Amino acid sequence: MMVRLIGSELLKLVTVRLPAILLGATAALTVLIAVLIASRAGGGRMAPAPLDTAEGLTQVITVTNFGLILAMVLGAIVSSGEFRTTATATYLATSRRWKVLVAKLFAASLAGLVFGAVAAGAATATGLIWVSAKGFDTSLPAGTMLEYAGGAAVGAALLAALGVGVGTLIRNTVVASVGILVWALVIEHIGGGLFSSVAPYLPFTAASTLAGQALEGDAIALSSGAAAALLVAIAALVAVVGARTVLRRDIA
Amino acid sequence: MPVIEIRGLTKRYGPTAAVDDLSFTVDRGTVVGFLGPNGAGKTTTLRALLGLVEPTGGGATINGANYRDLTDPLRHVGAVLEASDFHPGRSARNHLRVQAVAAGIAATRIDEVLDLVGLGVAADRKVGAYSLGMRQRLGIAAAMLGDPEVLILDEPANGLDPEGVRWLRELVRGLAEEGRTVLISSHLLAEVAQTVDSVVIIDGGRLIAQSSLADLSGGIRGVVRVRTPRARHLADALERDGDGVAIVHIGADRLEISGTTPERVGMLAAELRIPLLESTHEAINLEDIFFQLTDSPAKQEVS
Repeated sequence: MMVRLIGSELLKLVTVRLPAILLGATAALTVLIAVLIASRAGGGRMAPAPLDTAEGLTQVITVTNFGLILAMVLGAIVSSGEFRTTATATYLATSRRWKVLVAKLFAASLAGLVFGAVAAGAATATGLIWVSAKGFDTSLPAGTMLEYAGGAAVGAALLAALGVGVGTLIRNTVVASVGILVWALVIEHIGGGLFSSVAPYLPFTAASTLAGQALEGDAIALSSGAAAALLVAIAALVAVVGARTVLRRDIA
Repeated sequence: MPVIEIRGLTKRYGPTAAVDDLSFTVDRGTVVGFLGPNGAGKTTTLRALLGLVEPTGGGATINGANYRDLTDPLRHVGAVLEASDFHPGRSARNHLRVQAVAAGIAATRIDEVLDLVGLGVAADRKVGAYSLGMRQRLGIAAAMLGDPEVLILDEPANGLDPEGVRWLRELVRGLAEEGRTVLISSHLLAEVAQTVDSVVIIDGGRLIAQSSLADLSGGIRGVVRVRTPRARHLADALERDGDGVAIVHIGADRLEISGTTPERVGMLAAELRIPLLESTHEAINLEDIFFQLTDSPAKQEVS
């Protein structure tokens, strides 16, 4: 039963254009930012560390933020996107709405894995090509780079699940998506900067910790396990609140 | 046992009741027209029946169970609710695939239902490029995916051209011949009069009438006009013949008779050897009855 529903949700994602556009945007924006950082690396006191150092290369290959953010936007689309289109058909086929929500959480997480992996792949490829073009030695072991890529994939998957909950609570896709962007790019950034003890517990910061990014300032990052557990807990909480409130409303 | 049972169904939105203590049943294998003017509460009733709208009071069941308690509901009930219930960027075939996968229905069924509604050629075009009529056909295809025994169609003729309306009528008749139960809503009685066995008429969320079409028109039988040299004799005989017969004398040889049938007037005249020089029957229009019952202005919009 649940396998059927997850399959149906995944089919919804691959039979319209928007998810592919978001994935393409993830790859393009990630490459752009990675190139910008790589081109400035080692350029002076305020610039990123040189690319022949582990610190410099890490900065380039972990710029997976667009994968994280757009995965969460995708999650919000997975849930909110149906309310002006196919909600009736979906709930006629599966009248227990929580089952649909659970299927959406899994489907969005799988899609999020892809977003995180594509972002990590794009950033890592850019960094390695740059390093080899400059004739540097690669300063990071393959295992570390894989660990960061895996972390980005898991972080994006969990943020996508969180996005499903957000899109359940906020049925308007545009409002939900803009809210996520504002939260990720503005609120969490400024709030985290002002209250560095809180920063590690904010969802995007926790996900970027998983992806291997260093925190700004003097904040101390959570361990990968703790960051993942925190994200699972936040995603589950938001989904349960959504299931008990907005999800019960009439579909008219 | 009725297939569909609506019991005291009430749905309030704030102080207004969209559906107000509504009860009716639909028997197995019948085609029932669910009629009422726009805003009468038809769609709310059907959405409550399908578990999409939570009733304020009462309930609605299909085969004795709430829709939400049916396992694999698409295999029991097919519903067409509104033509906008698609993603404009998804093709018709993919819409059906999404539904079929969720309901565990074999992919081979998709081509069958596409052919059934005549969308085979257009199946790979995006629904956004579809006309309203094509969307209605796609909705019907989706409803037929699970080969359900019960079909619930909400204003399925909306947006169909005359050819489409005829196609729909034949489709519904075919479904009925296969023994399926069909509940079909409309704000126009004429649209379904040729298709349905009986009607449920609501207005203001309340039941106005549930009856067969024959009974509905039988209540008011129209007017029989005759010309006969023995008008007085015929009038006396008709008045003795049955209750509710009303006769207006026009001149010496003309009668305007209501409350009976032209057949009865003719038989009685023959028995009494009264010659009828002229006889005409003016049937009451079903639509007029419907508008009388629902107090709607006779000039209801015609789609």
